[in-house]
Amino acid sequence: MKKFMKKASLLLAAVFVFMLAVGCGQSQKQTSSSSSPSSTSEQKKVIIGFSQVTLQSPFYVELMKAAENEAKAKGAQLIYVDAQENIQKQNNDVQDLITKGINVLLLNPVNPDGVAPALAAAEKANIPVVTVDRPTTAKVATFVGRDNKEMGRLAGKKAVELLGGAGQAKGVIVEIQGAAGDKVMMARRDGFHEIVDKEPGIKVIQSPYCDYTRSKAVKAFQDILQANPKIDLVYAHNDDMALGAVQVLEQNKITGVKVVGVDGLMEALVAIKAGKYDATVLNDPQYLGKLAVDTALGVLNGEKYPEFIDAGTGLVDKQNVDQYLNTSLTFAPSKK
Amino acid sequence: MGADIIRKSSMILRRYSILFLLLILVIVASMLSPRFFTVGNFLNLLQQSSVIGIVSIGMTFVIITGGIDLSVGSILALAGMIVGILLKNGMAISLAIFITLVVGALLGGINGFITTKARVPAFLATLAMMVAARGMALLTTDGQPVFGLPSKFNVLGAGFLWGIPISGIIWILLTLITAFILKYSVFGRRLYAVGGNPEAAYLSGININKVIATTYIISGLLSAFAGIVLASWLTVSQPTAGNGAELNAIAAVVLGGASLSGGTGGVMGTFIGVLLMSIITNIFNLIGLSSYYQSIFMGVIIVLALVLNEFVVGGSEK
Repeated sequence: MKKFMKKASLLLAAVFVFMLAVGCGQSQKQTSSSSSPSSTSEQKKVIIGFSQVTLQSPFYVELMKAAENEAKAKGAQLIYVDAQENIQKQNNDVQDLITKGINVLLLNPVNPDGVAPALAAAEKANIPVVTVDRPTTAKVATFVGRDNKEMGRLAGKKAVELLGGAGQAKGVIVEIQGAAGDKVMMARRDGFHEIVDKEPGIKVIQSPYCDYTRSKAVKAFQDILQANPKIDLVYAHNDDMALGAVQVLEQNKITGVKVVGVDGLMEALVAIKAGKYDATVLNDPQYLGKLAVDTALGVLNGEKYPEFIDAGTGLVDKQNVDQYLNTSLTFAPSKK
Repeated sequence: MGADIIRKSSMILRRYSILFLLLILVIVASMLSPRFFTVGNFLNLLQQSSVIGIVSIGMTFVIITGGIDLSVGSILALAGMIVGILLKNGMAISLAIFITLVVGALLGGINGFITTKARVPAFLATLAMMVAARGMALLTTDGQPVFGLPSKFNVLGAGFLWGIPISGIIWILLTLITAFILKYSVFGRRLYAVGGNPEAAYLSGININKVIATTYIISGLLSAFAGIVLASWLTVSQPTAGNGAELNAIAAVVLGGASLSGGTGGVMGTFIGVLLMSIITNIFNLIGLSSYYQSIFMGVIIVLALVLNEFVVGGSEK
């Protein structure tokens, strides 16, 4: 009886695992548009492979979905793989995509140098590569991304304006920082400082690295507020962290502190509308995904592109927030 | 019986050694920053520690029996998503919380079932759950956060009662209740028996599998509750929440005097372990030193605490 129970439970566990696997497979099928290329159509469908850095971030999920929709609209097929922030997995993924017979590769590299094997494999198979959101060190067909330094500058200009305008700006700014060693963080930091460091009246206190996550930003900001009760403005490298600061300010019933973030997170726009938040800088993943697919198809058609294609950005504050407000989206759309 | 006395006394010594460490840290921190030893800062510390603190209570139960639960961070995230989605769809707060807690307990139950009945090592069974539950959390909304939760719900994580953060009060209460259970209930004593010597526990008629499975249910339940508190505090449900929570919780439990081979530990010690880790981050933030130093120092403190344990206890017992 005991033996039987053990066997039965083992079997149950196996069935459970199998069901999980099948379940995952099923959902994969539903989400990816990889229906096998129909041989009946006269023209063979173009297949775009997309190796995405991670699908654990809302931004990259939206980017992915937009790319998928655009491919569908243009009559192409998009197969995507998720590297899960793992460079080795990404290289293997790209190899698999090539085996599947893709015509062009969209690549958001985990690391600018680490994807060398993937790029070599693509070159060997004569498949052009377009990088998205993050560049590679090696040369590819083109890079579709954004100027994060410009985003930092826009935030800096708004911060100076909020603190009294160029030349007269005065106040203490707390800068909540993204992830250590991260290129996006450095760009958003440097662009911001390019503007505010010109103002003798402004003092900036930099937070420890909060990895772009709200829970870490809340803790760090609480501690900074303890050490410096008098602050005038919060600038965070993304909206998620800035919203954490808003939360702390509300909790401590502190009013009059200005808040500026980056990303155009819809939650931040709702906060702007409610008067709890001052500005955010657009970083629309939907448009980036669309542009990436259009560019990839253009490259296949032999069109020539510059090394860098800028998907553009812009500032949202209480003057123009109504044009972008749409709570069914996670990020504000940059093209109206 | 002699072994029992040694174990008991070594536990007391272990617990004192961490108190000793806490005292040193508080003194050093107070010297480093005048803002450290203030009521406001301690209230912040309490609030900041409560989420990982609640997770660590469940982890203590699991570790006492010699198990490990790597799925706590993912269950926390999934619970946050479920409660957020239910509230967003207009469900009553108490019902939404109840349903979420049931899901957490259920996932813990699956962990318990796989480790005890299917005999899969706890490390692997809960690793599988960690991956699967994270996948489920991402699947609920396709990786998107849920924001705009009702403001009444935010009281749990962000509210205050007599000037003390409610989340901190909950954490303290849970610690006291579980400390009582571990010390005075039959179930509590069985945990130590199962962790200390499963063979003997089995021979004295304890249903080992039931005891072990129950600890995973408790861990799943408390992780889900921590996820609810976090969502309520941040006013947002994020599928990526609780990343790395399992390692922080394990470290806190071990700092608190538990041994990973089971049989020792306690929620009071864990409470101090969690505080210790929060204070390190807190003091570095107050004096404005970079994250890199924080990480190095955190590693040094953990090793120091364990060495201190060994030193005081006079070599490991196992």
